Amino acid sequence: MKTILKNSRTRNRFIQGTVLVVTLGILLTFVLTTRHNLLEQGIATGFGFLERSTGWPINFSLFEVTANSPYADILLAGLLNTLLVGVLGISLATVIGVIVGLMRISDNFVLNLVGTTFVEVFRNVPLILQVFVWYAVLTHLPSPRQAISVFDVGYISNRGLIVPSLDMSALDIILFFIGLGLAGYAIAAAGKTNETLKRHAWSAFGAVCIVLFLILLFSGRSADAPLVNIPELRGLRFVGGIAIKPEFTALLFSIAVFGGAYVGEIVRGGFLSVDKGKIEAARGLGMTAFMVNRFVRIPLAVRAILPALTNQFIWLMKATTLGIAIGYPDYFMIVSTSINQSGQTIELIALLMAGFLLINYVLGFTMNWINKRLALKGQAS
Amino acid sequence: MMKRFTSALAGAALAAAVSAPVLAASGETVKTIQDRDSLLCTGHNGSYLGFAEVDDKGKWTGFDIEFCKALATAILGSPDKLQIIPVSWAQRFPALQSGDIDVIIKVTGWTMGRDTELGLQFARPYFIGPTNILTRAELGATSAADLEGGVFCINAGTSIERIVADYMGAKGISYEALNFEKAEELRSALYAGRCDALAGFGPFLAATRFNAPNPDDFVILDEVLALEPEGIAARQGDDNFIDVINWMVSALLMAEEHGITQANVDEMRANPPSSSIGRLLGATPGIGDRLGLSNDWAYNMIKAVGNYGEIYDRTVGEGSPYKLPRGLNNLWSKGGLHYTLVLD
Repeated sequence: MKTILKNSRTRNRFIQGTVLVVTLGILLTFVLTTRHNLLEQGIATGFGFLERSTGWPINFSLFEVTANSPYADILLAGLLNTLLVGVLGISLATVIGVIVGLMRISDNFVLNLVGTTFVEVFRNVPLILQVFVWYAVLTHLPSPRQAISVFDVGYISNRGLIVPSLDMSALDIILFFIGLGLAGYAIAAAGKTNETLKRHAWSAFGAVCIVLFLILLFSGRSADAPLVNIPELRGLRFVGGIAIKPEFTALLFSIAVFGGAYVGEIVRGGFLSVDKGKIEAARGLGMTAFMVNRFVRIPLAVRAILPALTNQFIWLMKATTLGIAIGYPDYFMIVSTSINQSGQTIELIALLMAGFLLINYVLGFTMNWINKRLALKGQAS
Repeated sequence: MMKRFTSALAGAALAAAVSAPVLAASGETVKTIQDRDSLLCTGHNGSYLGFAEVDDKGKWTGFDIEFCKALATAILGSPDKLQIIPVSWAQRFPALQSGDIDVIIKVTGWTMGRDTELGLQFARPYFIGPTNILTRAELGATSAADLEGGVFCINAGTSIERIVADYMGAKGISYEALNFEKAEELRSALYAGRCDALAGFGPFLAATRFNAPNPDDFVILDEVLALEPEGIAARQGDDNFIDVINWMVSALLMAEEHGITQANVDEMRANPPSSSIGRLLGATPGIGDRLGLSNDWAYNMIKAVGNYGEIYDRTVGEGSPYKLPRGLNNLWSKGGLHYTLVLD
């Protein structure tokens, strides 16, 4: 026995195994004790409630959800709402961040001042306050009856921005993007061997884009339905078109602007981290300013930016939970309301954690994958 | 030091009071109140607008407080023989069971769980709590159907969400539910015009309207989506006390039905227009001794606080800032749900 324990490898394995068993044992005890206590109090456990209808509706979802929909549907709608505002918010934040970051490192005094002011203002005001401010601004727009008309096809009111919609279902739109992804991948793959296709890759992609769009637009529609659905005021609301709700817009704006300020600083840091010697060396080789940026500065800066950016993206995704403050039915708000209405606290908290874990894990995994692809070969990362 | 000593004394007194209800449970609550010469009644931790409001001098007013005064007058002859004990919503039941208060008059819904598991006994409902709709006056809506397609602001995670969904679903009215977690956000969304209407507990809507930048911009529709009867609750097992409360509520309603007000009660007593009014006001005996009270308790009570309608108007109705319509809280003869018991 002693001799076995003297072997450091065996000993380490033994210790690790013991720790693992004890941890699992503690977790199992927690689960069993909770279950026992809940049963004792006559509280129902399990996920059977997911099939029961909720009895309450939400006002914003990507697919139709009514008061008769089961909890599973409304939770999925909430998850999609979180993804929608999160993905769009992060994309906008990145665009804003890159612009602001470049302004901050520019030699132009005015651009520099604007960038600095933007960062200082939006980084230093708490996010929830910004959400409230944007929401207050949007809800104090005129009522639907006095809506601001945009060429009589779009309307801006305190019910949001109403724009004409195409006669396409949500499924059509999803198919469109899946098709685009596949086409892009196919063109890129074929372009590796086919020189002509490589040269005209963007034109080919554009052509596929238009054809796919037209097929989806004209397929499976009734003959008399208009191609474009123009909103009109009927009673208290606009009928037709797509309404972009103020709750969504306020949350999106806040995440984009607040995130933009942080991303801007990350971008600035990335560019400043590029070694001056390397830039000078590139110039010394006779590269033009464009070439220096394209082949030396940007590739090096992006590598410095990515790890910090991953953190920021995950942070912003979690910030979507502020939707609850202004009535945006994101995943957190739906779970919170479901807890009140169904009483299935532990199951719903577990689903809440699993949902965010999944979203953020996928986000982190993708970013790390990109990071690895970009990392300089042979460099330890 | 002195303060600590007195609080210790108060603690001891409290401990004595806690043991007292064991006796009171056998029908002695009224006797306990008479021996103490003071009624311990529920207030609120802060102000619950319209029902239990406290001003900066510690003076209590409101619908529930008026009923506390009425009960104190019925049992002890004076509305001043009353102590309002501030308790929160959650504290009210343990406070009653431990004897810190004699009775709960605190818009308390009569539910099966409270009636059975919590060991309470409810007297007849004294207030009907409706779920109403508060809407913008400029929309000109007179019923929920006029709000077809409108946005309804609703408190997330409450029973109101389901009540509205059921009601509108049954009537085939489409609407958009905008749910907020906090009452403050709910109110500001309505004030800003983000929603066309706010659905909720009637008195809450009345307070929301009153707190609006311009209350005249908002109206509460008469339509009732659902209702909850609010009862006065006492400890289980004191039948005599429940009798007193039932007849107190009934006497206030009877006074309104017969047009007896705070102003004309003396005249009515001197010259009762009917024999039942004579019995009610104690001109002929019977109303008091059968309950173990003085025969003029109803007269004293009406003299002190007025009839049911007067209390309502003064605290939550037309005479108050909240202008809550009588609606179902009117007498049956005027379209409401309240009726009197038979005084023989």
